[in-house]
Amino acid sequence: MATRLKKRTVVIVGGGLTAGLISRQLTAQGIEVLVLERGGNSSNGAAEKLPNQRDELRWDVRQGLVQDWAVQTYSLRHSRKEASLPVRRMEAFLPGEGRGGAANHWTGITWRWAEYDPALRTRLESRYGKTAIPAEVTVQDWGVSYAELEKYHDLFEKLFGISGKAGNIQGRIQPGGNPFEAPRQNEYPQPALELTEAGIIFKQTAEKLGYKPFPMAAGNSSGTYTNPDGMKLGACQYCGHCDRFLCEAKAKSTPELLLYPVLLERPQFEIRLNCHVLGVDYDRDGKRVTGVRYLDLLTGEEYEQPADVVVLGAFTMTNAKLLLMAGIGEKYDPVTGKGVVGRNFCYQSSSLVNLFFPDRWINPFLASGCSGVNIDEFNADHFDHSGLDFLGGGAITANLKGGLPIRGRRVPPGTPRWGTKWKQANADWYAHSFALTAQATCYPHRENFLDLDPSYTDAYGQPLVRMTFDWQQNEVRMSEYVTRKMEAVAQAAGAKIVGPAVPRRGPFDTRVSQSTHVVGGTVMGADPRTSVVSPHLQHWDASNLFVVGASVLPHNSGYNPTGPIAALALRLGDDLVRYVGKPDML
Amino acid sequence: MTPEKNPEQGRRGFLKQVALAAVSAPLGANLVAAAADVAAPNQPPDNAAGPAPAVGYASLGPDEAGFVEAMVNVMCPADPLTPNGVDCGLAIFIDRQLAGDFGRGARLYRQGPWAPGRPELGYQLPLTPEQYFKAGLAAAGDVCRTTRGKRFEELSPEEADVFLQELAADKFTGGHFSLGEWFNGLVYPLFEQACFSDPLYGGNTNKVFWKMLGYPGLPATHANDMVEFRGKPYPGARDPKSIADFS
Repeated sequence: MATRLKKRTVVIVGGGLTAGLISRQLTAQGIEVLVLERGGNSSNGAAEKLPNQRDELRWDVRQGLVQDWAVQTYSLRHSRKEASLPVRRMEAFLPGEGRGGAANHWTGITWRWAEYDPALRTRLESRYGKTAIPAEVTVQDWGVSYAELEKYHDLFEKLFGISGKAGNIQGRIQPGGNPFEAPRQNEYPQPALELTEAGIIFKQTAEKLGYKPFPMAAGNSSGTYTNPDGMKLGACQYCGHCDRFLCEAKAKSTPELLLYPVLLERPQFEIRLNCHVLGVDYDRDGKRVTGVRYLDLLTGEEYEQPADVVVLGAFTMTNAKLLLMAGIGEKYDPVTGKGVVGRNFCYQSSSLVNLFFPDRWINPFLASGCSGVNIDEFNADHFDHSGLDFLGGGAITANLKGGLPIRGRRVPPGTPRWGTKWKQANADWYAHSFALTAQATCYPHRENFLDLDPSYTDAYGQPLVRMTFDWQQNEVRMSEYVTRKMEAVAQAAGAKIVGPAVPRRGPFDTRVSQSTHVVGGTVMGADPRTSVVSPHLQHWDASNLFVVGASVLPHNSGYNPTGPIAALALRLGDDLVRYVGKPDML
Repeated sequence: MTPEKNPEQGRRGFLKQVALAAVSAPLGANLVAAAADVAAPNQPPDNAAGPAPAVGYASLGPDEAGFVEAMVNVMCPADPLTPNGVDCGLAIFIDRQLAGDFGRGARLYRQGPWAPGRPELGYQLPLTPEQYFKAGLAAAGDVCRTTRGKRFEELSPEEADVFLQELAADKFTGGHFSLGEWFNGLVYPLFEQACFSDPLYGGNTNKVFWKMLGYPGLPATHANDMVEFRGKPYPGARDPKSIADFS
């Protein structure tokens, strides 16, 4: 029997990046916030301190900071014709746990998406005609413009002390930056990180080919930094332990370092750790939610937490699951194309090619997760797709990420998998190779969606979220194109050996690390028939319920999604200040 | 640099003596047990800076250890780059992983119902990794006796290498599960981890694989190195440091 607790003003499910940003805006205006987070707090433990922070086996290979798959995983089928099976140990994407969420073990790569991304359907139809988007590719506008989000991008970059080089300040293209960048009011708060040797080789090659290379924008601090809230970052040590790790130098921008210390000082703020939300209580007739139920994982006791406003700020999959379980909003039906919850589930396409330089000291261990160089010429809709049989594209990047010895080695094609020749190849090439990667778009498809698994349950007896997902024709063709462009850059770089550049093809492989950027399932939009939440992230069928995070993005671009996720969260924080004062449709 | 020139070779030197003493027998399960027996209580620690040498298996039985030791010695033969796999701690690493959280299925979703699926859906058997490893060892051992007429550890290194390649290529069918998936999905990753993990876990003894790569290890505070040694040989790569060096 659940214990009923005292009603709170705003309750946020999930204590990660979005909860931190929303809470910052709300508590600054005196509005009380309660955050419920299923995990604990990993900071100041072995994960963040030398020497154990540098343990690749523990944190990287064994996923020490990632969601425990024994407790909760997702099931997958590649099409509706197949039966689903649970992914028993996921490697493809890695949700976080604990205060700060996945933004604690993230790498720190911080993009703004293209100016047209929030109006992607309008953009593609105006450029290529009304029939250019195949019927099954359910790209849609977000109902909010980049211009409306710009000030929130700007604020987020200041809060997180992002290091980078602007490419477009107020419409003026900046040398050394990304000429395809959406216009920004200001330069990045900090200068870009140092380039690696690989970055220098790639930059010179790209320039020779007429492209405009630029340094990656990084949540790895290029210097010491104090943000507008007085929170500090140390200087990056280029140790290469970023993705899947906590930063021992306090140089990686995380909610745990930059948001929660401020919030914990504010009397309006409370976070309850080790509290796993089981469900949202829905008053269907009143079109409102009344609160949430959660399990205290330290005692096993169940609580009912009434709230004036509920915000779902959990990982992509959990936001969809909570809506599906509570029956809030119509479940998506791929047969009719009707319904919204679970719709537009997207992953992110990626491919790579290895380059081997016997005479260059690449030293892959002298790098951070974000000390890369990019070209954006073949990303998204930055190039003309007239006459091409696909939409979308990818950013091409040289990023060493740290050369960790278990997973960060490269050997030339044809090398045996063990024995003296294998060892010799590792000895010869470890310090003399790097990879180019293409991180590319994944546009929504009618047959890619989320729902609840009919058979498999989590440790709490609740259904797993089921993915029905595979790489569709548009993404396969796109990856083929972008991967060939990447291969051509690799061939021009002067490497002695260029490995095979293999485009991303189906079936979607859960065993291979690709990208943690799963998006969609509870998408935003101006039309309730094709969106779960409004452009203000307010649920169409429960006016005091809001959803935020990657789950509201209706497509995935060829960029890491943290930038738009953060901008939307800060904007939601401001919207909620208005909403609490005058509860109505925003 | 050859490992023999390194001063921190106490345990390896010791194991080599044991191996020489047992030269008539195939390098097998008895080696580590023998090492444990010979290690007299009053023997001085052979490396005052490091932990006591790991001897004795926590998970593997004698036959299993025999297979694993022979396998890691084929996959990592003694050569100018490293000592053999056993002396590099690879069998101990694998044993410790099987005996620990990983082997017992930590962080692995283990609820039924159980059904085979496409490889891309990942591991779908009800066994823990430890059980799976051992079931595969037994099946591979049976296949070896059937197809070669010998136990795996009795094969010559060349024969054993061919046998492992055929395992990896999933040439042997008819068992309860694919031996190719077993080898590629469980055994091979453990082998790579044994080579390149921090020596804390029993493999990569004396950081020999890090020296082979030129990976400098800890503390990896490279803010200045990043500029000074960009595009140049990094001196620290010759003398890597591990967690034990900072503990």
